[in-house]
Amino acid sequence: MSEPSDDFEDLFENAPCGYIVMGADGRICRANRTLCEWLGRSPADLGRKRPHELLNIAGRIYYETHIAPLLRMQGFFHEVALDLVAGGGATVPVIANAVEHRDAGGRVRYTRIAFLMATDRRRYERELLKARDAAQDALRKERHFAELREQFIAVLGHDLRNPLAALGGGVQLLSRRPKDEIATHILAMMQTTVFRGVALVDNLLDFARARLGGAFPLERRSEDLIPVLRQVVEELRTAMPHRVIEERYDIAGPVNFDRIRIGQLVSNLLANALTHGAQDQPVRIEATAEDALAISVANAGEPIPPSARERLFEPFFRGDVRPSGQGLGLGLYIASEIAKAHGGTLDVTSSQHETRFTFRMPLPDTTSGTEV
Amino acid sequence: MSIRDRNNVQVSGAGSRTIMFAHGFGCDQNMWRLVAPAFEGDFRVVLFDHVGAGRSDLSAYDDRKYGSLSGYAGDVIEIIRELDLGRVIFVGHSVSAMIGVLAANREPELFESLVLVGPSPRYIDDGDYSGGFSADQIEELLQFLDDNHMGWSAAMALAIMGNPDRPELGQELTNSFCRTDPEIAKKFARVTFTSDNREDLGKLTVPSLILQCKEDIIAGRDVGEFVHRHAPGSTFLLLDAVGHCPNLSAPAEVISGIRAYVRAQ
Repeated sequence: MSEPSDDFEDLFENAPCGYIVMGADGRICRANRTLCEWLGRSPADLGRKRPHELLNIAGRIYYETHIAPLLRMQGFFHEVALDLVAGGGATVPVIANAVEHRDAGGRVRYTRIAFLMATDRRRYERELLKARDAAQDALRKERHFAELREQFIAVLGHDLRNPLAALGGGVQLLSRRPKDEIATHILAMMQTTVFRGVALVDNLLDFARARLGGAFPLERRSEDLIPVLRQVVEELRTAMPHRVIEERYDIAGPVNFDRIRIGQLVSNLLANALTHGAQDQPVRIEATAEDALAISVANAGEPIPPSARERLFEPFFRGDVRPSGQGLGLGLYIASEIAKAHGGTLDVTSSQHETRFTFRMPLPDTTSGTEV
Repeated sequence: MSIRDRNNVQVSGAGSRTIMFAHGFGCDQNMWRLVAPAFEGDFRVVLFDHVGAGRSDLSAYDDRKYGSLSGYAGDVIEIIRELDLGRVIFVGHSVSAMIGVLAANREPELFESLVLVGPSPRYIDDGDYSGGFSADQIEELLQFLDDNHMGWSAAMALAIMGNPDRPELGQELTNSFCRTDPEIAKKFARVTFTSDNREDLGKLTVPSLILQCKEDIIAGRDVGEFVHRHAPGSTFLLLDAVGHCPNLSAPAEVISGIRAYVRAQ
């Protein structure tokens, strides 16, 4: 067995890491055999060099601007990635740790730096960075396309309105002319279809607009709400003449709201109730205004399962209760956005007894008179 | 956010004259920790971090403003005005030497003199001019900066910024000095190493002292001498120090150099 001192000598020279000692002048005074072998240089070759001379140009700048100051300030550095340059010009990727040894006066006597070969680790890290950059790039492109798609939806929705309006006008003209029973029936169905088409396009347009950066701009005025509700109900009765809609209103005085938007909200709720509720039972609409305005629409029929209830107001959510797959799943989303834009809420309760959607909106102190 | 907070401005010392220290690329005001205290006895001493470095307000970073060194020069002027510092002795290290030149050219009445430590008006070679680096080498540096995540990690930055009363959060970091936001550091590197301020040297009307290290691979002696030749009213002092950061490696030499110069002014 050899002397311990020999063992330490061997440990230094043939350690599984590269090792250099720099003197007080910042020049290498000793480099171990491991490092010399990695770099294909002799110990004499490395002696008197400054550590940045072992690096490529980028590493030198980095060493001088970051690493050397760090070493002076905290007396060590840990886990710094560097590329050593071998004699033949090849690079040896390493991770370096260093520690300064200072005398009692705080002057640096020598600095030790250990290098761990890190070819695979550094390659892996670079690949991760590349993957991150690629992901960010893909996300940017995808966002751009998403915006284009939404613009497309907005334009498409807008352009679909005119032919739908022409169809609706035609159906109404024909309804006023003498016709037989079959024609009456077909025209009523067409009326329903046109109405649904218009509602779908309106919701689609609103969705695209909201996604393109606009919230729902409101044009609020203080006016009577009941005529607005009656008109919406009338439209749906015309569209679905065989269904019963019961109305109960208790609102005194004007309310501050956007008539088009609230009309749309109520229309979405009613259309939903008529479509998804029990077909042989009435749909009820109630509106009251005390401390807050509350408009609710209720229907009988299968309750909405709790799992679906949580996601009802998300865009494009179409529960799995209806295999017929009517609509885009935007109606409730748009309705809840309209509610929010009014500073209000849209909630749902659902039981065996009934399913009820309620829009609530706080009312300002109405005693102060008409609002602007 | 006030200018004081934006640039983490620290004022200490007392005296009729004000000396302002500006750090370069790669670190923050810690760079002056061995130099600045020596002036506190007879000067008002001002330290600050450029936006993106140290404890500056990262949210104040603006790609357009800081897309050129003049944005940083604007901050120097704002700090002098905001703190009502009067005429200052501006000591700029590395890229901040040129930031000082730009600021002094814009508002000469705010500057008594400039001390340029390791200045370079252009790092990339250009015809007869030797800046020390090729354009490709600078590109390589910008790539290389990704290899060392010496900045705050995003999560760490949040923890530290959100808990100024808990400095121990910052101490958990292994390399705890000179932390910068990595993305901003890359942009600052690009602005620094692709800048060309050779024309600005000739416009200088404020007297200046150039402190040049013997062996500096970032701003070599040739470059320092170029600055001296082109900056009217400049004084050239060659230090015995090696490397690019004499403010850390040879603080005594830097202190005596500045002292002798400002005494003579």
